[in-house]
Amino acid sequence: MSADDSMTRAFDGLASRIDALGARSVGFTSALLGEGVSTVALGTALSLADLRGDDVLLVDGNWLQPSLTEDAGLETAPGLADRLARTTELDAAIRRTAGSRVAFLPVGDRTRIRPALRALGSFVATETGSFETVVVDLPPILAGEPFVLPWAAVLDQICVVLREEATPLPMLQQALGRLHATNAPCIVLNRAKVASIDVPAKLIAART
Amino acid sequence: MRPYLATLRRYGWLVGAILALVWGAGLASAYIEYTTTFESEATIWVLRASPELLVTSPNDPSAPILQTAASQQADLLDQLLLTQSFVRDVVQKTSLAAALAAAQDERRFLASVGKSFQIDTHGTNLLTVAYVSHDPRIGPEMVNAALAVRADRVAQASVTFSAAASTLYQQQLEVAQAQALDAQKKLDAFDAENAFPLSDIQQHQRDQLRLALDFAQVRLSDIRGRIDQATLAPAVLAVSGMEFQVVDQPRVENTPRGGTKPAAMTAAIAFAAGAALVTLLVLLGTILPSHATGPGDVARLAPMKLIASVPRVSLVRGSADAADVRASLAAIAFGGGRDQARPSR
Repeated sequence: MSADDSMTRAFDGLASRIDALGARSVGFTSALLGEGVSTVALGTALSLADLRGDDVLLVDGNWLQPSLTEDAGLETAPGLADRLARTTELDAAIRRTAGSRVAFLPVGDRTRIRPALRALGSFVATETGSFETVVVDLPPILAGEPFVLPWAAVLDQICVVLREEATPLPMLQQALGRLHATNAPCIVLNRAKVASIDVPAKLIAART
Repeated sequence: MRPYLATLRRYGWLVGAILALVWGAGLASAYIEYTTTFESEATIWVLRASPELLVTSPNDPSAPILQTAASQQADLLDQLLLTQSFVRDVVQKTSLAAALAAAQDERRFLASVGKSFQIDTHGTNLLTVAYVSHDPRIGPEMVNAALAVRADRVAQASVTFSAAASTLYQQQLEVAQAQALDAQKKLDAFDAENAFPLSDIQQHQRDQLRLALDFAQVRLSDIRGRIDQATLAPAVLAVSGMEFQVVDQPRVENTPRGGTKPAAMTAAIAFAAGAALVTLLVLLGTILPSHATGPGDVARLAPMKLIASVPRVSLVRGSADAADVRASLAAIAFGGGRDQARPSR
Protein backbone atom coordinates (compact mmCIF):
# COMPACT_ATOMS: atom_id res chain seq x y z
CA MET A 1 0.00 0.00 0.00
CA SER A 2 1.45 3.37 -1.04
CA ALA A 3 1.44 6.49 1.06
CA ASP A 4 -1.23 7.96 -1.21
CA ASP A 5 -3.48 4.95 -0.65
CA SER A 6 -2.90 5.25 3.06
CA MET A 7 -4.06 8.86 2.95
CA THR A 8 -7.26 8.29 0.99
CA ARG A 9 -8.16 5.08 2.83
CA ALA A 10 -8.57 7.15 5.96
CA PHE A 11 -11.59 8.79 4.38
CA ASP A 12 -13.13 5.67 2.83
CA GLY A 13 -15.50 5.17 5.74
CA LEU A 14 -16.82 8.68 5.50
CA ALA A 15 -17.09 8.46 1.70
CA SER A 16 -18.97 5.17 1.95
CA ARG A 17 -21.48 6.68 4.34
CA ILE A 18 -22.05 9.67 2.08
CA ASP A 19 -22.41 7.35 -0.87
CA ALA A 20 -24.94 5.30 1.07
CA LEU A 21 -26.94 8.42 1.81
CA GLY A 22 -27.16 8.99 -1.93
CA ALA A 23 -26.07 12.59 -1.54
CA ARG A 24 -24.74 14.21 -4.68
CA SER A 25 -23.68 17.49 -3.11
CA VAL A 26 -22.01 17.55 0.29
CA GLY A 27 -20.72 20.51 2.25
CA PHE A 28 -18.23 20.36 5.11
CA THR A 29 -18.21 22.95 7.84
CA SER A 30 -17.40 23.22 11.53
CA ALA A 31 -18.14 25.30 14.58
CA LEU A 32 -14.75 26.96 14.83
CA LEU A 33 -11.59 27.38 12.83
CA GLY A 34 -8.94 24.70 12.93
CA GLU A 35 -11.19 21.65 13.02
CA GLY A 36 -9.70 20.11 9.88
CA VAL A 37 -12.66 20.79 7.59
CA SER A 38 -10.61 21.47 4.43
CA THR A 39 -8.55 18.35 4.97
CA VAL A 40 -11.67 16.25 5.48
CA ALA A 41 -13.31 17.77 2.38
CA LEU A 42 -10.20 17.12 0.32
CA GLY A 43 -9.77 13.56 1.52
CA THR A 44 -13.45 12.77 1.09
CA ALA A 45 -13.44 14.14 -2.45
CA LEU A 46 -10.51 11.89 -3.33
CA SER A 47 -12.11 8.87 -1.72
CA LEU A 48 -15.51 9.52 -3.32
CA ALA A 49 -13.84 9.77 -6.74
CA ASP A 50 -12.34 6.33 -6.21
CA LEU A 51 -15.52 4.91 -4.78
CA ARG A 52 -17.92 6.17 -7.43
CA GLY A 53 -15.44 5.87 -10.29
CA ASP A 54 -16.38 9.29 -11.54
CA ASP A 55 -15.10 12.83 -11.45
CA VAL A 56 -15.74 14.80 -8.27
CA LEU A 57 -15.95 18.58 -8.19
CA LEU A 58 -14.23 20.00 -5.13
CA VAL A 59 -15.41 23.55 -4.49
CA ASP A 60 -13.58 25.94 -2.18
CA GLY A 61 -16.50 27.84 -0.69
CA ASN A 62 -14.53 29.12 2.27
CA TRP A 63 -14.86 32.89 1.95
CA LEU A 64 -12.93 33.45 5.19
CA GLN A 65 -9.90 31.22 4.82
CA PRO A 66 -9.66 29.54 1.39
CA SER A 67 -6.87 27.17 2.32
CA LEU A 68 -7.57 24.69 -0.50
CA THR A 69 -7.12 27.46 -3.03
CA GLU A 70 -3.84 28.34 -1.35
CA ASP A 71 -2.78 24.70 -1.39
CA ALA A 72 -3.44 24.56 -5.13
CA GLY A 73 -1.59 27.81 -5.66
CA LEU A 74 -4.64 29.42 -7.28
CA GLU A 75 -5.06 32.50 -5.11
CA THR A 76 -5.34 34.81 -8.10
CA ALA A 77 -7.13 32.44 -10.45
CA PRO A 78 -10.81 32.97 -11.27
CA GLY A 79 -13.12 30.77 -9.28
CA LEU A 80 -16.49 30.39 -7.62
CA ALA A 81 -16.93 34.03 -6.74
CA ASP A 82 -16.24 35.04 -10.30
CA ARG A 83 -18.67 32.48 -11.61
CA LEU A 84 -21.39 33.61 -9.21
CA ALA A 85 -20.72 37.16 -10.39
CA ARG A 86 -21.03 35.92 -13.99
CA THR A 87 -17.60 37.25 -14.90
CA THR A 88 -16.14 33.94 -15.99
CA GLU A 89 -17.23 30.62 -17.38
CA LEU A 90 -17.36 27.64 -15.07
CA ASP A 91 -15.23 25.44 -17.28
CA ALA A 92 -12.57 28.12 -17.36
CA ALA A 93 -12.51 28.32 -13.57
CA ILE A 94 -12.43 24.61 -12.83
CA ARG A 95 -8.90 23.17 -12.58
CA ARG A 96 -8.07 19.59 -13.36
CA THR A 97 -4.88 17.78 -12.55
CA ALA A 98 -3.47 15.04 -14.71
CA GLY A 99 -4.12 11.63 -13.16
CA SER A 100 -6.60 13.00 -10.63
CA ARG A 101 -10.36 12.54 -10.74
CA VAL A 102 -10.87 15.54 -8.51
CA ALA A 103 -11.68 18.73 -10.39
CA PHE A 104 -11.10 21.81 -8.28
CA LEU A 105 -12.96 25.11 -8.30
CA PRO A 106 -11.01 27.76 -6.37
CA VAL A 107 -12.73 30.47 -4.42
CA GLY A 108 -11.88 33.26 -6.90
CA ASP A 109 -12.11 36.95 -6.19
CA ARG A 110 -14.11 37.06 -2.93
CA THR A 111 -14.49 40.81 -3.06
CA ARG A 112 -16.79 40.61 -6.08
CA ILE A 113 -19.79 38.97 -4.51
CA ARG A 114 -21.08 37.10 -1.49
CA PRO A 115 -22.74 33.70 -1.96
CA ALA A 116 -26.51 34.15 -2.31
CA LEU A 117 -29.14 31.48 -2.08
CA ARG A 118 -30.53 31.91 -5.61
CA ALA A 119 -27.17 31.94 -7.33
CA LEU A 120 -25.94 28.97 -5.33
CA GLY A 121 -29.11 27.02 -6.07
CA SER A 122 -28.60 27.48 -9.77
CA PHE A 123 -24.91 26.71 -9.46
CA VAL A 124 -25.38 23.41 -7.61
CA ALA A 125 -28.45 22.16 -9.47
CA THR A 126 -27.66 23.24 -13.03
CA GLU A 127 -24.13 24.39 -13.69
CA THR A 128 -22.40 21.48 -11.93
CA GLY A 129 -24.77 18.98 -13.47
CA SER A 130 -21.97 17.26 -15.33
CA PHE A 131 -20.47 16.09 -12.03
CA GLU A 132 -21.94 13.12 -10.17
CA THR A 133 -20.50 14.43 -6.93
CA VAL A 134 -19.90 17.94 -5.62
CA VAL A 135 -17.93 18.46 -2.40
CA VAL A 136 -17.84 21.97 -0.89
CA ASP A 137 -15.40 23.25 1.72
CA LEU A 138 -17.21 25.84 3.86
CA PRO A 139 -16.11 28.31 6.53
CA PRO A 140 -16.89 27.69 10.20
CA ILE A 141 -20.47 28.39 11.20
CA LEU A 142 -19.86 30.66 14.16
CA ALA A 143 -17.33 32.79 12.29
CA GLY A 144 -18.95 32.76 8.85
CA GLU A 145 -22.63 32.10 9.30
CA PRO A 146 -23.71 34.24 6.30
CA PHE A 147 -21.40 32.23 4.05
CA VAL A 148 -22.65 28.86 5.31
CA LEU A 149 -26.42 29.17 5.56
CA PRO A 150 -27.08 29.61 1.81
CA TRP A 151 -25.07 26.48 1.10
CA ALA A 152 -26.93 24.57 3.79
CA ALA A 153 -30.17 25.28 1.95
CA VAL A 154 -29.03 24.01 -1.45
CA LEU A 155 -26.68 21.13 -0.66
CA ASP A 156 -27.99 17.60 -0.22
CA GLN A 157 -26.02 17.06 2.95
CA ILE A 158 -24.11 19.22 5.40
CA CYS A 159 -21.43 17.58 7.53
CA VAL A 160 -20.14 19.33 10.62
CA VAL A 161 -16.59 18.37 11.50
CA LEU A 162 -15.49 18.35 15.13
CA ARG A 163 -12.03 17.56 16.33
CA GLU A 164 -11.71 14.97 19.03
CA GLU A 165 -10.63 16.33 22.41
CA ALA A 166 -10.50 19.85 21.02
CA THR A 167 -13.89 21.15 19.93
CA PRO A 168 -15.83 22.67 22.83
CA LEU A 169 -19.20 20.96 22.89
CA PRO A 170 -21.12 24.07 23.94
CA MET A 171 -19.73 25.92 20.90
CA LEU A 172 -20.66 23.01 18.67
CA GLN A 173 -24.19 22.97 20.03
CA GLN A 174 -24.43 26.71 19.47
CA ALA A 175 -23.27 26.27 15.87
CA LEU A 176 -25.70 23.46 15.21
CA GLY A 177 -28.47 25.62 16.56
CA ARG A 178 -27.72 28.25 13.95
CA LEU A 179 -27.58 25.80 11.08
CA HIS A 180 -30.89 25.43 9.31
CA ALA A 181 -30.18 22.74 6.71
CA THR A 182 -32.71 20.96 4.47
CA ASN A 183 -31.51 17.67 5.86
CA ALA A 184 -30.35 17.22 9.40
CA PRO A 185 -26.60 17.86 9.54
CA CYS A 186 -24.39 14.91 10.27
CA ILE A 187 -21.33 14.90 12.48
CA VAL A 188 -17.84 13.87 11.42
CA LEU A 189 -15.45 13.15 14.25
CA ASN A 190 -11.93 14.12 13.25
CA ARG A 191 -9.46 12.14 15.32
CA ALA A 192 -6.40 13.53 13.57
CA LYS A 193 -3.94 15.51 15.65
CA VAL A 194 -4.12 19.27 15.55
CA ALA A 195 -2.10 20.80 12.74
CA SER A 196 0.79 22.67 14.19
CA ILE A 197 2.93 23.72 11.23
CA ASP A 198 2.70 25.57 7.99
CA VAL A 199 0.73 23.49 5.48
CA PRO A 200 2.00 25.16 2.29
CA ALA A 201 5.57 24.47 3.39
CA LYS A 202 4.68 20.84 3.88
CA LEU A 203 2.96 20.82 0.51
CA ILE A 204 6.10 22.09 -1.16
CA ALA A 205 8.08 19.45 0.64
CA ALA A 206 5.66 16.75 -0.49
CA ARG A 207 5.83 17.91 -4.11
CA THR A 208 9.60 17.90 -4.16
CA MET B 1 -15.26 2.53 32.69
CA ARG B 2 -13.64 3.52 29.43
CA PRO B 3 -14.83 7.16 29.51
CA TYR B 4 -13.45 7.55 33.01
CA LEU B 5 -10.10 6.15 31.93
CA ALA B 6 -10.12 8.48 28.94
CA THR B 7 -10.79 11.42 31.25
CA LEU B 8 -8.02 10.24 33.54
CA ARG B 9 -5.61 10.14 30.59
CA ARG B 10 -6.80 13.53 29.35
CA TYR B 11 -6.19 15.18 32.71
CA GLY B 12 -3.08 13.11 33.41
CA TRP B 13 -0.84 16.07 34.14
CA LEU B 14 -3.45 17.75 36.31
CA VAL B 15 -4.09 14.53 38.20
CA GLY B 16 -0.38 14.08 38.69
CA ALA B 17 -0.02 17.65 39.91
CA ILE B 18 -2.92 17.30 42.34
CA LEU B 19 -1.63 14.03 43.73
CA ALA B 20 1.91 15.34 43.97
CA LEU B 21 0.70 18.46 45.75
CA VAL B 22 -1.76 16.88 48.17
CA TRP B 23 0.09 13.66 48.86
CA GLY B 24 3.42 15.40 48.98
CA ALA B 25 2.16 17.99 51.42
CA GLY B 26 0.48 15.27 53.49
CA LEU B 27 3.55 13.10 53.65
CA ALA B 28 5.73 16.08 54.50
CA SER B 29 3.32 17.10 57.26
CA ALA B 30 3.23 13.53 58.56
CA TYR B 31 7.02 13.35 58.59
CA ILE B 32 7.31 16.68 60.40
CA GLU B 33 4.62 15.62 62.86
CA TYR B 34 6.42 12.37 63.57
CA THR B 35 9.89 13.85 63.98
CA THR B 36 8.80 16.76 66.17
CA THR B 37 6.50 14.90 68.55
CA PHE B 38 7.74 13.90 71.98
CA GLU B 39 5.84 11.89 74.55
CA SER B 40 6.63 11.92 78.25
CA GLU B 41 5.11 9.20 80.37
CA ALA B 42 4.73 8.37 84.05
CA THR B 43 3.98 4.84 85.21
CA ILE B 44 1.81 4.60 88.32
CA TRP B 45 1.04 1.70 90.61
CA VAL B 46 -2.33 1.69 92.37
CA LEU B 47 -2.50 -0.73 95.32
CA ARG B 48 -6.23 -1.18 95.81
CA ALA B 49 -9.54 -0.04 94.50
CA SER B 50 -10.85 2.93 96.43
CA PRO B 51 -14.32 2.33 97.83
CA GLU B 52 -15.10 6.02 97.37
CA LEU B 53 -14.68 5.65 93.60
CA LEU B 54 -16.88 2.57 93.08
CA VAL B 55 -19.16 3.09 90.14
CA THR B 56 -22.68 1.78 90.16
CA SER B 57 -24.72 0.56 87.26
CA PRO B 58 -27.32 3.08 86.07
CA ASN B 59 -29.76 0.18 85.61
CA ASP B 60 -29.21 -1.25 89.05
CA PRO B 61 -27.61 1.21 91.49
CA SER B 62 -27.33 -1.46 94.13
CA ALA B 63 -24.97 -3.52 91.98
CA PRO B 64 -21.49 -1.98 91.73
CA ILE B 65 -19.67 -2.32 88.42
CA LEU B 66 -16.46 -4.26 88.81
CA GLN B 67 -13.50 -1.97 88.33
CA THR B 68 -9.85 -2.55 88.80
CA ALA B 69 -7.76 -0.17 90.86
CA ALA B 70 -6.01 1.07 87.72
CA SER B 71 -9.21 1.64 85.75
CA GLN B 72 -10.71 3.58 88.67
CA GLN B 73 -7.85 5.99 88.78
CA ALA B 74 -7.67 6.20 84.98
CA ASP B 75 -11.35 7.09 84.80
CA LEU B 76 -10.89 9.67 87.54
CA LEU B 77 -8.01 11.31 85.68
CA ASP B 78 -9.85 11.19 82.36
CA GLN B 79 -12.83 12.93 83.92
CA LEU B 80 -10.70 15.52 85.64
CA LEU B 81 -8.96 16.32 82.35
CA LEU B 82 -12.36 17.09 80.84
CA THR B 83 -12.80 19.98 83.25
CA GLN B 84 -11.32 23.34 82.41
CA SER B 85 -10.55 24.22 86.03
CA PHE B 86 -8.38 21.13 86.47
CA VAL B 87 -6.49 21.68 83.22
CA ARG B 88 -6.08 25.36 84.06
CA ASP B 89 -4.58 24.47 87.45
CA VAL B 90 -2.25 22.01 85.73
CA VAL B 91 -1.11 24.54 83.12
CA GLN B 92 -0.53 27.21 85.74
CA LYS B 93 1.95 24.95 87.47
CA THR B 94 4.04 24.66 84.28
CA SER B 95 5.98 26.88 81.90
CA LEU B 96 2.88 27.03 79.69
CA ALA B 97 1.24 29.41 82.16
CA ALA B 98 2.48 32.39 80.17
CA ALA B 99 1.09 30.91 76.98
CA LEU B 100 -2.26 30.37 78.70
CA ALA B 101 -2.33 33.97 79.88
CA ALA B 102 -1.54 35.16 76.36
CA ALA B 103 -4.03 32.84 74.67
CA GLN B 104 -6.89 34.67 72.96
CA ASP B 105 -9.20 31.67 73.23
CA GLU B 106 -8.55 30.11 76.62
CA ARG B 107 -11.19 27.44 76.15
CA ARG B 108 -9.57 26.16 72.96
CA PHE B 109 -6.13 26.29 74.52
CA LEU B 110 -7.24 24.26 77.53
CA ALA B 111 -9.08 21.78 75.32
CA SER B 112 -5.94 21.33 73.27
CA VAL B 113 -3.88 20.70 76.38
CA GLY B 114 -6.47 18.26 77.73
CA LYS B 115 -6.40 16.27 74.51
CA SER B 116 -2.63 16.01 74.68
CA PHE B 117 -2.89 13.85 77.79
CA GLN B 118 -3.24 10.14 77.35
CA ILE B 119 -4.26 7.81 80.19
CA ASP B 120 -3.86 4.08 79.69
CA THR B 121 -4.24 1.12 82.00
CA HIS B 122 -1.93 -1.86 81.90
CA GLY B 123 -3.38 -4.75 83.87
CA THR B 124 -5.26 -4.39 87.11
CA ASN B 125 -3.01 -2.05 89.03
CA LEU B 126 -0.75 -0.28 86.55
CA LEU B 127 -1.58 2.85 84.60
CA THR B 128 0.40 5.36 82.57
CA VAL B 129 -0.15 9.09 82.25
CA ALA B 130 1.46 10.53 79.12
CA TYR B 131 1.64 13.97 77.58
CA VAL B 132 2.42 14.57 73.90
CA SER B 133 3.90 17.84 72.71
CA HIS B 134 6.32 19.28 70.21
CA ASP B 135 8.59 20.49 73.02
CA PRO B 136 10.28 17.61 74.86
CA ARG B 137 10.66 19.70 78.02
CA ILE B 138 6.94 20.32 78.41
CA GLY B 139 5.89 16.68 78.77
CA PRO B 140 7.43 15.93 82.18
CA GLU B 141 6.22 19.28 83.53
CA MET B 142 2.66 18.57 82.44
CA VAL B 143 2.56 15.02 83.76
CA ASN B 144 3.99 15.99 87.13
CA ALA B 145 1.66 18.95 87.36
CA ALA B 146 -1.37 16.80 86.53
CA LEU B 147 -0.47 14.30 89.24
CA ALA B 148 0.14 17.07 91.72
CA VAL B 149 -3.14 18.81 91.00
CA ARG B 150 -4.93 15.49 91.21
CA ALA B 151 -3.43 14.84 94.61
CA ASP B 152 -4.46 18.31 95.76
CA ARG B 153 -7.97 17.78 94.51
CA VAL B 154 -8.28 14.41 96.24
CA ALA B 155 -6.99 15.82 99.53
CA GLN B 156 -9.25 18.84 99.27
CA ALA B 157 -12.22 16.61 98.55
CA SER B 158 -11.49 14.44 101.58
CA VAL B 159 -11.19 17.44 103.88
CA THR B 160 -14.42 18.90 102.60
CA PHE B 161 -16.14 15.55 102.97
CA SER B 162 -14.97 15.08 106.56
CA ALA B 163 -15.96 18.62 107.52
CA ALA B 164 -19.44 18.13 106.13
CA ALA B 165 -19.76 14.76 107.84
CA SER B 166 -18.61 16.20 111.17
CA THR B 167 -21.18 18.97 110.98
CA LEU B 168 -23.93 16.51 110.24
CA TYR B 169 -22.91 14.14 113.02
CA GLN B 170 -22.62 17.01 115.49
CA GLN B 171 -26.21 17.97 114.84
CA GLN B 172 -27.29 14.36 115.22
CA LEU B 173 -25.30 14.15 118.48
CA GLU B 174 -27.12 17.13 119.94
CA VAL B 175 -30.45 15.58 119.16
CA ALA B 176 -29.39 12.23 120.57
CA GLN B 177 -28.09 13.90 123.74
CA ALA B 178 -31.41 15.67 124.21
CA GLN B 179 -33.27 12.44 123.70
CA ALA B 180 -31.05 10.60 126.21
CA LEU B 181 -31.44 13.40 128.82
CA ASP B 182 -35.17 13.40 128.34
CA ALA B 183 -35.33 9.63 128.79
CA GLN B 184 -33.22 9.88 131.95
CA LYS B 185 -35.49 12.59 133.39
CA LYS B 186 -38.58 10.55 132.73
CA LEU B 187 -37.05 7.54 134.48
CA ASP B 188 -35.95 9.62 137.48
CA ALA B 189 -39.42 11.18 137.74
CA PHE B 190 -41.04 7.79 137.66
CA ASP B 191 -38.75 6.52 140.42
CA ALA B 192 -39.55 9.56 142.55
CA GLU B 193 -43.26 9.17 142.15
CA ASN B 194 -43.44 5.43 142.78
CA ALA B 195 -42.18 3.75 145.93
CA PHE B 196 -40.73 0.27 145.90
CA PRO B 197 -41.87 -2.49 145.73
CA LEU B 198 -43.63 -1.84 142.41
CA SER B 199 -46.68 -3.56 141.15
CA ASP B 200 -46.51 -5.56 137.92
CA ILE B 201 -47.94 -2.68 135.91
CA GLN B 202 -45.57 -0.14 137.44
CA GLN B 203 -42.62 -2.47 136.89
CA HIS B 204 -43.59 -2.82 133.22
CA GLN B 205 -43.79 0.99 132.81
CA ARG B 206 -40.39 1.39 134.44
CA ASP B 207 -38.87 -1.25 132.13
CA GLN B 208 -40.23 0.69 129.13
CA LEU B 209 -38.62 3.91 130.32
CA ARG B 210 -35.38 2.12 131.03
CA LEU B 211 -35.38 0.61 127.53
CA ALA B 212 -35.93 4.03 125.92
CA LEU B 213 -33.00 5.39 127.94
CA ASP B 214 -30.78 2.50 126.85
CA PHE B 215 -31.68 3.05 123.17
CA ALA B 216 -30.89 6.77 123.45
CA GLN B 217 -27.54 6.04 125.06
CA VAL B 218 -26.64 3.45 122.42
CA ARG B 219 -27.46 5.91 119.65
CA LEU B 220 -25.44 8.59 121.41
CA SER B 221 -22.50 6.24 121.61
CA ASP B 222 -22.88 5.32 117.92
CA ILE B 223 -22.86 8.94 116.81
CA ARG B 224 -19.82 9.67 118.90
CA GLY B 225 -18.06 6.79 117.15
CA ARG B 226 -18.98 8.18 113.75
CA ILE B 227 -17.68 11.57 114.73
CA ASP B 228 -14.40 9.97 115.66
CA GLN B 229 -14.32 8.20 112.28
CA ALA B 230 -15.04 11.41 110.40
CA THR B 231 -12.22 13.11 112.22
CA LEU B 232 -9.91 10.27 111.27
CA ALA B 233 -11.08 10.15 107.60
CA PRO B 234 -8.57 12.67 106.21
CA ALA B 235 -5.79 10.69 107.77
CA VAL B 236 -7.24 7.48 106.33
CA LEU B 237 -7.51 9.05 102.86
CA ALA B 238 -3.99 10.31 103.18
CA VAL B 239 -2.99 6.71 103.69
CA SER B 240 -4.99 5.87 100.57
CA GLY B 241 -3.00 8.49 98.69
CA MET B 242 0.12 6.58 99.56
CA GLU B 243 -1.34 3.78 97.50
CA PHE B 244 -1.08 5.93 94.36
CA GLN B 245 2.62 5.51 93.74
CA VAL B 246 4.52 6.90 90.76
CA VAL B 247 6.81 4.01 89.83
CA ASP B 248 8.52 5.68 86.84
CA GLN B 249 8.86 9.43 86.82
CA PRO B 250 8.30 11.23 83.50
CA ARG B 251 11.52 12.11 81.67
CA VAL B 252 12.61 14.55 79.01
CA GLU B 253 12.60 12.47 75.81
CA ASN B 254 15.25 13.27 73.24
CA THR B 255 14.01 10.94 70.52
CA PRO B 256 10.66 11.44 68.77
CA ARG B 257 7.94 9.34 70.27
CA GLY B 258 4.17 9.30 70.34
CA GLY B 259 3.74 10.94 66.92
CA THR B 260 3.07 7.77 64.97
CA LYS B 261 -0.68 7.93 65.28
CA PRO B 262 -1.16 11.62 64.35
CA ALA B 263 1.39 11.26 61.56
CA ALA B 264 -0.41 8.23 60.18
CA MET B 265 -3.70 10.10 60.49
CA THR B 266 -2.27 13.09 58.62
CA ALA B 267 -0.91 10.88 55.85
CA ALA B 268 -4.18 8.97 55.60
CA ILE B 269 -6.20 12.18 55.39
CA ALA B 270 -3.89 13.53 52.69
CA PHE B 271 -4.10 10.26 50.77
CA ALA B 272 -7.90 10.24 51.00
CA ALA B 273 -8.14 13.92 50.07
CA GLY B 274 -5.93 13.44 47.01
CA ALA B 275 -7.88 10.40 45.90
CA ALA B 276 -11.16 12.24 46.47
CA LEU B 277 -10.03 15.25 44.46
CA VAL B 278 -8.90 13.08 41.57
CA THR B 279 -12.11 11.09 41.70
CA LEU B 280 -14.12 14.29 41.67
CA LEU B 281 -12.09 15.63 38.77
CA VAL B 282 -12.55 12.44 36.76
CA LEU B 283 -16.26 12.30 37.54
CA LEU B 284 -16.89 15.92 36.61
CA GLY B 285 -14.58 15.64 33.62
CA THR B 286 -16.56 12.66 32.39
CA ILE B 287 -20.06 13.80 33.25
CA LEU B 288 -19.55 17.39 32.16
CA PRO B 289 -17.11 17.12 29.26
CA SER B 290 -16.14 20.36 27.64
CA HIS B 291 -14.76 18.56 24.62
CA ALA B 292 -15.86 15.62 22.52
CA THR B 293 -13.69 12.72 23.57
CA GLY B 294 -15.33 10.10 21.37
CA PRO B 295 -18.51 8.88 19.71
CA GLY B 296 -20.16 8.68 23.14
CA ASP B 297 -19.98 12.44 23.55
CA VAL B 298 -21.23 13.04 20.00
CA ALA B 299 -24.30 10.97 20.83
CA ARG B 300 -25.30 13.78 23.20
CA LEU B 301 -25.80 16.02 20.19
CA ALA B 302 -28.95 14.15 19.12
CA PRO B 303 -30.79 14.41 16.78
CA MET B 304 -27.53 15.05 14.97
CA LYS B 305 -25.93 11.75 14.12
CA LEU B 306 -22.30 10.77 13.89
CA ILE B 307 -21.81 9.69 10.30
CA ALA B 308 -18.16 8.66 10.51
CA SER B 309 -14.85 9.19 12.21
CA VAL B 310 -11.67 10.18 10.44
CA PRO B 311 -8.93 8.12 12.04
CA ARG B 312 -5.41 9.17 12.76
CA VAL B 313 -3.34 8.46 9.70
CA SER B 314 0.23 7.25 9.67
CA LEU B 315 2.49 7.59 6.70
CA VAL B 316 4.49 4.64 5.53
CA ARG B 317 7.58 6.08 7.14
CA GLY B 318 6.61 6.77 10.69
CA SER B 319 3.64 8.66 12.03
CA ALA B 320 2.32 11.85 10.55
CA ASP B 321 0.62 14.88 11.97
CA ALA B 322 -2.32 16.63 10.37
CA ALA B 323 -0.10 18.88 8.29
CA ASP B 324 1.60 15.86 6.71
CA VAL B 325 -1.77 14.37 5.84
CA ARG B 326 -3.01 17.60 4.37
CA ALA B 327 0.11 18.09 2.28
CA SER B 328 -0.07 14.52 0.99
CA LEU B 329 -3.75 14.86 0.06
CA ALA B 330 -3.10 18.18 -1.65
CA ALA B 331 -0.28 16.60 -3.61
CA ILE B 332 -2.61 13.82 -4.77
CA ALA B 333 -5.44 16.17 -5.73
CA PHE B 334 -3.53 19.10 -7.12
CA GLY B 335 -0.33 17.39 -8.22
CA GLY B 336 2.27 20.00 -9.05
CA GLY B 337 -0.04 22.83 -8.09
CA ARG B 338 0.70 25.91 -10.16
CA ASP B 339 2.51 23.87 -12.80
CA GLN B 340 0.08 21.01 -13.32
CA ALA B 341 -3.34 22.45 -12.49
CA ARG B 342 -4.91 23.60 -15.73
CA PRO B 343 -8.27 24.85 -16.89
CA SER B 344 -10.56 21.92 -17.59
CA ARG B 345 -11.51 22.80 -21.07
